[in-house]
Amino acid sequence: MDFEPMDDFDRKLKRLFERWPAPPDLKRRLMENRRRRKERPQWFALPFAARVAVSLCLLAGVFAALYGGIAANQAEQRRKGEEARRQVLLALRITNHALDHMNRQLAAHNRARQE
Amino acid sequence: MAHDWQPDFEQLVDEHQSMVYSLALRMTGDRGLAEEIAQDVFLELDKRLGKIESAAHACFWLRRVATSRSADALRRRKARRTSLWVTIEEDHGVPAEERTSPLGARLEQLLATLPEPQRAALVLRYQEELSPEEIAATLEAPLATVKSNLQRGLKLLRAKAENHLKEYVRGF
Repeated sequence: MDFEPMDDFDRKLKRLFERWPAPPDLKRRLMENRRRRKERPQWFALPFAARVAVSLCLLAGVFAALYGGIAANQAEQRRKGEEARRQVLLALRITNHALDHMNRQLAAHNRARQE
Repeated sequence: MAHDWQPDFEQLVDEHQSMVYSLALRMTGDRGLAEEIAQDVFLELDKRLGKIESAAHACFWLRRVATSRSADALRRRKARRTSLWVTIEEDHGVPAEERTSPLGARLEQLLATLPEPQRAALVLRYQEELSPEEIAATLEAPLATVKSNLQRGLKLLRAKAENHLKEYVRGF
């Protein structure tokens, strides 16, 4: 294509960089978005007392969850401690039983030698 | 401060949608993103409508926010520069040739390759026909910086045009 010489770059740019037309449905979609936003309950549109109440409820929920988590963790630790204690006692009982058995055998052996 | 001007949101959209969309499109080189930015800018305007004092203030505010939102979007997405401009040729069903010349389309592509501050200054200068002082106020930048960006941007664009648009340009 043939174009005239670009003797004035500055002037050309002004002419070439005219505004683009906005997409035909930009306004329609924008107004629709705006309407939806206005219908949606906005946090700052709530009365101050309601915002405080919601914040307190959320805070209480967070604390309850934290407390529940800590309590559950402590219960789990206690359960593991009990389990370990039971296993140690069982091991001691087995050892005790084995030692008794050995003592009885030694006593029987000694008695046999004396006779 | 009390002011008599009664803003009409719909009328502001009618008057400025082309300006906001074009600024965003020339800054980002992405039609979808430009549309998204235009929507965000107008919804933000809607929220702040009570603080807008006049029609001129609305126009200034829209230019400033559209430019800064576009720059933010560019930084986030690190737009793919020239390749994105392939989509602009459709121009919502209108072939580029019907709206602007091929030279214009190529210059738009070259504009998209400029650094973001230079691009912003040039778009405001040539699309919006603002003075360097008005550009400085819009971009909230020192006047010297704006003048430097305009000079450098123009020089760079001219050099790129000389290199890439030889088939269109017989001499500058």
